[in-house]
Amino acid sequence: MWAYVINLAVLISINAILAVTLNFILGYAGIFSIAHALFFGVGAYTATFVAMKFGAGFLTATAAGMALAALISLALALPALRVRGEYFVAASLGLQMLAITIFTEWKSVTGGIGGLTNIPAAKFFGFELSQPGHYLILSLICLGLVLLIMRALVRSSFGRSLKAIRDDETAAWAYGKNVAVIKTTAVVVSSALAAVAGSLYAFYLSFINVESFVLETSIQLMAMVIIGGTATLVGPLIGTVLILLLPAALSYLPYLPVTEIGSIQQIAYGLAMVLLMIYRPGGLWGFQETPKSREGGSP
Amino acid sequence: MSQGGEILLQATGVAKTFGGLKAVDDVTFTLRAGIITTLVGPNGAGKTTLFNLMTGHLVPDRGEVNWLGRSLLGLPHWQIARLGIGRTFQDLKLFNNMTVEENVTTVTERNSWLWQSGGAGAKGERRARAESALAATGLGGKRNARAIDLAYADRKFLSLARILASGARLWLLDEPASGLDRGSYERFLSLLRDQVRLGVTICIIEHNLDIVQGISDRIAFLDQGRLLAEGDPKTILSDPALAAIYFGERAS
Repeated sequence: MWAYVINLAVLISINAILAVTLNFILGYAGIFSIAHALFFGVGAYTATFVAMKFGAGFLTATAAGMALAALISLALALPALRVRGEYFVAASLGLQMLAITIFTEWKSVTGGIGGLTNIPAAKFFGFELSQPGHYLILSLICLGLVLLIMRALVRSSFGRSLKAIRDDETAAWAYGKNVAVIKTTAVVVSSALAAVAGSLYAFYLSFINVESFVLETSIQLMAMVIIGGTATLVGPLIGTVLILLLPAALSYLPYLPVTEIGSIQQIAYGLAMVLLMIYRPGGLWGFQETPKSREGGSP
Repeated sequence: MSQGGEILLQATGVAKTFGGLKAVDDVTFTLRAGIITTLVGPNGAGKTTLFNLMTGHLVPDRGEVNWLGRSLLGLPHWQIARLGIGRTFQDLKLFNNMTVEENVTTVTERNSWLWQSGGAGAKGERRARAESALAATGLGGKRNARAIDLAYADRKFLSLARILASGARLWLLDEPASGLDRGSYERFLSLLRDQVRLGVTICIIEHNLDIVQGISDRIAFLDQGRLLAEGDPKTILSDPALAAIYFGERAS
C-alpha cells in the first residue's frame, strides 16, 4: 500500500512540475503550447543519455536536459512567437509531432519504440537514490524549487509584462514592451524547467519510452492547468492531483469493469471540462468572473 | 493661446492606403512642444490612422516621420514608444485582468529581461512615477481593483494614468473625453492642463466641438485622409467651409 501511495505521490510531483511550468506560459502569457511533453521528453532522454554514457549524477544530467530543452524551445519560439496565438498552437503541434518521430526513430539515443531500460539510479553528491522514498523527497524538493522560481517570476516585473501581453498585446507594444523577446524568454524558462521533470521521471522509473512524451501528455497537462485554474500558483497543483487521482479513484468504485476505466476516465475529463468552462471559467482555483464582479465597480 | 515650442514630431507627405482606400493622403503635419493640438474631422477622416503612422503601428507607404529630427521609419513600435511617444486607444486596451496598480507599474518597467536594471534607486524612481500617476488620476484608492471591474470613467482615467506613468513626452490621445460626465470631464481637463504645464505635449482626436474649443491650442482638420487646414482654434472653427464638411453638408 505504501509503495502505491509513494509511487502516486512521485508521479503527482513530477506532473505538477510540468503543469506549473506550462501554466507559466499558458496562464500568465497566454501562449497555448501543445508541445510541453516534448520538453519533458528532451529532459528525460538527455538526462538518461548523459547518465548512461558519462555516468553523470542527477544535477549534471538535469542541467544538460535543461540546457538542451532551452535551446530547442528557443528555436521554436523565435520564429513562432512572431505570429499571433493560433499560429503558435499550430507550430507547437507540428513540433510535438516531429519530436515523436525523432523519439521513435533515433534509436541509438532514444532506444526507439522499446525505449531505454536499466537507467542507473540517480546519484546526488555521491549518494545513490535507491528507494522510492528518496525519489519522493527529491521530487518534492524540485517541485518546491520550481514553485519558488515561478512565484518570484510572476510577481516580478517580468510577470507583469507577461500578463500585460496576455491581456492586450497591442497595448503592450505601444508601451515599449518588446513582446517577442519577453514571450521567447518565458517559453525558454518554462521549457528548461519542464526538463527537470523529465530527468526525475527517467531516474525514478529507470525506464523511458516515447509513449510518455506524446501529444496526449501535452493535452493532459493542458487539462491539468485549465481545470485547476490558469494564472494561479495553486491551480495547476490541484488540477494535477485531480487528474492523476481520478483513475485511481475510479478503480476503487465497485461494479466498474477494469477494462472500461480508461474510457470512463475520458468521459469524466470531457464532462468535467465542459461543466467547468460553463460554471467556473477561471478553473477550480481561478478567480471567478461572475456578473456580480463585473458590476462591482459601477457607480 | 500658445503656438508651441520646438518641433517634437514632424510628419512629411505621409500616405497610407488600405486596399485602394486612401486612409491618409499626403499629410504634412507638425506637433510642437508644450501645447495641445487637436485632430478633428468626420469619421473615416484618417485621424486614428495618422496616430498609427506616428507610433509605428503602421508603416507609411510614402513620406517621412521624424521625432526631434530623427527618422522613425523602420523602428519597431516598442522602440518608438521608448523614445517618449505614448498613446491611448479608443477602446482603451487596458490590461483588464491586472490590478489598477499593476497596469500603471508595468508601463514603467521597460526591460524585457527577467529583471529590471538600475537596482533599488531605479526601482524607487519607477515606484514614485506609478504613485504620482495614481494620485493625479484619483485612482489611488482603487489600486487593488482589476481594471475590468472599474466604472467607465475610472477606466478612462486608468488609460491616462498609464500614459502618465510611462513618462511619455508626447501623448497621443484617441477620443479620451468621449462618454465622460461633466465632473469627470472637468477633472480630465485640469489633468491635461497640469501635464502640459509640466512639459508634456498632447495631441488629441476629438469629435465634440465644444471640447475641441475648450482644450485646443491648435487644430488640424482632416477629411478623407487629407489635411485640409491647420491653425488656431478661432480660425479653424469659424471657417464655414470646414463646418460644412464636418456636419456633412459636403460642398460639391
